[in-house]
Amino acid sequence: MFQTLVQRFVQWCYYSKDYAFIRDTKYAIPLLQSIHLTGITLLLGTTVILNLRLLGFGFRLLPLPMLSEQLWPWTKTGLLLAIVTGIMVFLPDPTRYAHSGPFRLKMLLLCVALLYQFTVFRRIARTDPESRSGIRNAVLAAISLGLWFGVGWSGRAIAFFQ
Amino acid sequence: MSVLSFLNWLQQTGWATGLKESALLFPLVEGTHILSLSFSVCMIMMLDFRLLGLSFRSQPASLMMDQLMQWALPGFCVMFFTGALLFCTEPVRAYGNNFFRAKMILLALAGINALFYRFRYYPKMAQWDLAAPPAGARAVAALSLIFWIGVIACGRTMAYEL
Repeated sequence: MFQTLVQRFVQWCYYSKDYAFIRDTKYAIPLLQSIHLTGITLLLGTTVILNLRLLGFGFRLLPLPMLSEQLWPWTKTGLLLAIVTGIMVFLPDPTRYAHSGPFRLKMLLLCVALLYQFTVFRRIARTDPESRSGIRNAVLAAISLGLWFGVGWSGRAIAFFQ
Repeated sequence: MSVLSFLNWLQQTGWATGLKESALLFPLVEGTHILSLSFSVCMIMMLDFRLLGLSFRSQPASLMMDQLMQWALPGFCVMFFTGALLFCTEPVRAYGNNFFRAKMILLALAGINALFYRFRYYPKMAQWDLAAPPAGARAVAALSLIFWIGVIACGRTMAYEL
């Protein structure tokens, strides 16, 4: 059932003329990948800052709620850039991705990471870390870092593993 | 010894071929190089946004710089080290690659730009900590964003031509 759905989606993408121009334009994919990576730099980097602050490794002179408020627009910008360009890289070449193990892992981790970001992490980052125990902060940060770097590493793995 | 013969010797050293052919170590070094962008370039981008008045306007510029650089510097160390390792696996082709050359030029420009800021604006930052940064400092920040995004784009694109 799942396999058939994936198969039909892949065929639909591949034969859709709308995305063929991306396949056929010389620097379209490198350009999209460059924007994808710039988006990831913003998304991952701003998340790293909040987690380092949560762990107490640096940024100690800056309050976490202030950091969270000021960084959020850039996290959102990075996420938007990465998702839009990610879809544009996927659609013209769906067979390469849909059957790739690392790609499937990336999508799974991305869903969990987004869920964690919008249900737990955003709320935590708006409060003072001093109001919780160090262990609690460490666990919250480890989950966030694990999920987002998991997305990053599995994305990189698409190029190297089946 | 010419540059090319040196690069030829370099890529034939045992450890360079070993790294290139390693199924696990090469992806690990490459992934570290790319994902450490979130420690190096993202921190610089946040400082640029502060200087341009786009974010963190309520925070002293010198404090932001101090807090961000504590992580940007180790981030750049990891980047340069892993980047040098990657170069050693494919030095001859990288040397002849136009995107690699553009990346090195942009990297040098970003470095000169940062040094210029360090000597021209950094010593007097306390004078305008909460006021608008001088026009020159804002120009440095804008150039920094352009150079670094250029470095990311050239780095990502050169991989398609190696």
